[in-house]
Amino acid sequence: MEAESSTSNQQRKRKRSASESSEKPAQSTWRTDKEHRLYSSKLLEALRRVRSGSGSSSPRTDPPRSRAVREAADRALAISARGRTRWSRAILSSRSIKLKSNRIRVPCPARPKRTELERIQSAADQEKKKSVVLQSKAKVLGRLVPGCKKLSFPTLLEEASDYIKALEMQVKAMSALTEILSMIGGGTEGAPGMVQDAGAGTSTGTDSMPPPA
Amino acid sequence: MSSRRSHSRHSSASRITEEEINELVSKLQMMLPDAPISRNSRVSARKVLQETCSYIRSLHQEVDDLSEKLSELLASTDTDSAEAAILRSLLMQ
Repeated sequence: MEAESSTSNQQRKRKRSASESSEKPAQSTWRTDKEHRLYSSKLLEALRRVRSGSGSSSPRTDPPRSRAVREAADRALAISARGRTRWSRAILSSRSIKLKSNRIRVPCPARPKRTELERIQSAADQEKKKSVVLQSKAKVLGRLVPGCKKLSFPTLLEEASDYIKALEMQVKAMSALTEILSMIGGGTEGAPGMVQDAGAGTSTGTDSMPPPA
Repeated sequence: MSSRRSHSRHSSASRITEEEINELVSKLQMMLPDAPISRNSRVSARKVLQETCSYIRSLHQEVDDLSEKLSELLASTDTDSAEAAILRSLLMQ
């Protein structure tokens, strides 16, 4: 009997941990289909805004528009992170206030005067050379991931791994979107069934399409 | 490594042991495109960091290229039919 109760306890614990892990920033969040769909819809909204914003002013495609698309995509990506990571918060806080010198203070936990990297350096004198090299590499990495210039080494690595996963999802979603749009833009000649339905439905109503620049 | 790993977790948060660094670095290495399957091969942390940086840079470049393509496509397609088709395909996924 005791064995049974212990196994049921274990099962309950496992269930609880499973539900917890789905809420925690688990490593697999960026790979689920749900996140993919969420990001795709946000991306669509943002792109629609980009299009409606600059559709009237420019006669031909100007370079800033691709920049606007990139920023909209990044913003949608950061929103999908739901504030769990530093890089997403940094993207959102820096986009709203478009400054060239991005000196926005993202709230970091208060650390003592010496940074973690310096502590590693002083603690291990034998591997001093190795830690200096790591420090320079980490600095480069910190510049690539938004908002992570002054993080501790393990935190930086965690942010970087999450950022990479998010970027991979972004690339996948954007390339899928590009494929769909190119299929529509190319006309309904070689398009698969699902696109043909949409094309046939609306082509009768709106005849004139804006000529490509 | 497993026995020393648990010991390092109990240490204070301010001291980062090399075990923790190695663990994080190996986790990062798993996410890189050409990650070696054998776990015994210890790639240097410096190399992993470097490959991480170049991978992030290449991802950025891909996003930029895609943004450019998307901006061109957005300019040349009709919004309503495009959105209907996109939504339909998204739902079908």
